[in-house]
Amino acid sequence: MNTFASYHPAVLMLYFIAVLLIAMFTQNPVLLALALLGGVSFCTLLERPKDFLHNMAFYIPLFLMIAITNPLFSHNGVTPLFFLNGNPVTLEAVLYGLDIAAMLVAVMYWFKCYNHIMTSEKILFLFGKVIPKLSLLLSTALRFVPLFKAQIKKIHQAQKAMGLYASNSYVDKLRSAVRVFSAMLTWSLENAIDTGSSMKARGYGLKGRSHFALFRFTARDGLLSGAAVFLLALVLLGTALKETAFSFYPRITALSASPIAILAYLAFGLLVFLPFLLEIVENMRWKALLSSVPKHGALSLSDATPGKDDKK
Amino acid sequence: MKKDLLAILFVILVIAAVINGTHIQSVDEYYLTHIDDITPESETVTISVRCDTILDNWEDLWPELQSDEFVPPDGVILPETEYVLREGDTVFDILDRAVRYNRIQMEYQGADKNSFGSVYIQGIHYLYEFSCGPLSGWMYRVNGEFPNYGCSKYELEDGDVIEWVYTCDLGKDVGCAWMGNQGEEAAQ
Repeated sequence: MNTFASYHPAVLMLYFIAVLLIAMFTQNPVLLALALLGGVSFCTLLERPKDFLHNMAFYIPLFLMIAITNPLFSHNGVTPLFFLNGNPVTLEAVLYGLDIAAMLVAVMYWFKCYNHIMTSEKILFLFGKVIPKLSLLLSTALRFVPLFKAQIKKIHQAQKAMGLYASNSYVDKLRSAVRVFSAMLTWSLENAIDTGSSMKARGYGLKGRSHFALFRFTARDGLLSGAAVFLLALVLLGTALKETAFSFYPRITALSASPIAILAYLAFGLLVFLPFLLEIVENMRWKALLSSVPKHGALSLSDATPGKDDKK
Repeated sequence: MKKDLLAILFVILVIAAVINGTHIQSVDEYYLTHIDDITPESETVTISVRCDTILDNWEDLWPELQSDEFVPPDGVILPETEYVLREGDTVFDILDRAVRYNRIQMEYQGADKNSFGSVYIQGIHYLYEFSCGPLSGWMYRVNGEFPNYGCSKYELEDGDVIEWVYTCDLGKDVGCAWMGNQGEEAAQ
């Protein structure tokens, strides 16, 4: 699960910027569908299977909510389905809603992956020297939500032990949750200030302060960054030549199937599935290496797995 | 549990209010197939919808709209037509009936949704405000003059001539003086 995360931080940053740049600024449904699929599959690799279902329970309703909201407020489009209070609800607006929802959810998934891969350590390593204040702010801000979630669980449990959630009424439960939330807000503000002071106390950002990091730029990092830049260039070429341009209003444009457009789609597909493919290749290599280990005697394959060793 | 019931009741009330406030029509219901017949004793007004100015500012127009389908080559979306004037009809009522009868797309902001207390026409025939430059949008003229208030506040009289025109320059290109003067006064 760690193949991709073991690359050099600069390469990882470049990769995420490349994917997010396209996903955030295109309206093309093919590119967005690829971004969504790639983001979901990559995120699933990084998390436990249980988290996948948890995510779905949040992102599917969010997706539908965004998709439904758009046609209620945007009435442009040549194909009216029905009329709501005298304004048309159009097929174009519905499809545009789906498109925007896919974009938002895809970007959120990619940021989830980003959070898993780009740890604070990597961000500070990348930008600590150049822009110390901003990078500390960034790493604090980006780790805000995961930290918040972990802490809210703790407070929730503590409050439960104190009998705060004893009432069966949902209204009371909601009010308790609001109280926990407000306590959390104060805590997270304080935590951010504490982090800042503690970093200052350690001389963070001062001149001459050295930084230990185990990151080395190797040949495979160069290969990955080269591949990312090349694929991004292909997609940008398609965008610059307006081959992947797509608009919904007032009439949905036909999807271009010109060679350049198809090339751009393939390039972007490869780009978003790159971590996924790397993981699979690494897995296969691992299996190939294992199978080359002689199978007889005490060093048999099944014995090499840690679980079985413990039992013996 | 009492609180729960109250909360559920409140949610149901909100949903009921929302459903009560929405009015859904099918496409065939919305477009009128029949409009009041003109009889010798009926009062009438004429209405036209034009977008000539876009033809002079073609390069400002959104690329998606640059086709004869959305901008007619002669700039006429609805030629001058006579319609029956009902008692208390405003400019908006006549426009609404005319576009529904002629199956022209229109989007508007309801009178309760803005601070002017009047309906605001956002777009007619897929041509919206800001579709052709930052100073573009729909304006209306009655008997050659631009009233300085919303179209659902203007009550019509027999024989009035309504013209809906698309401006690309805050009204200056369609002969409206007050918008330009106001802008200049504000700038000073």
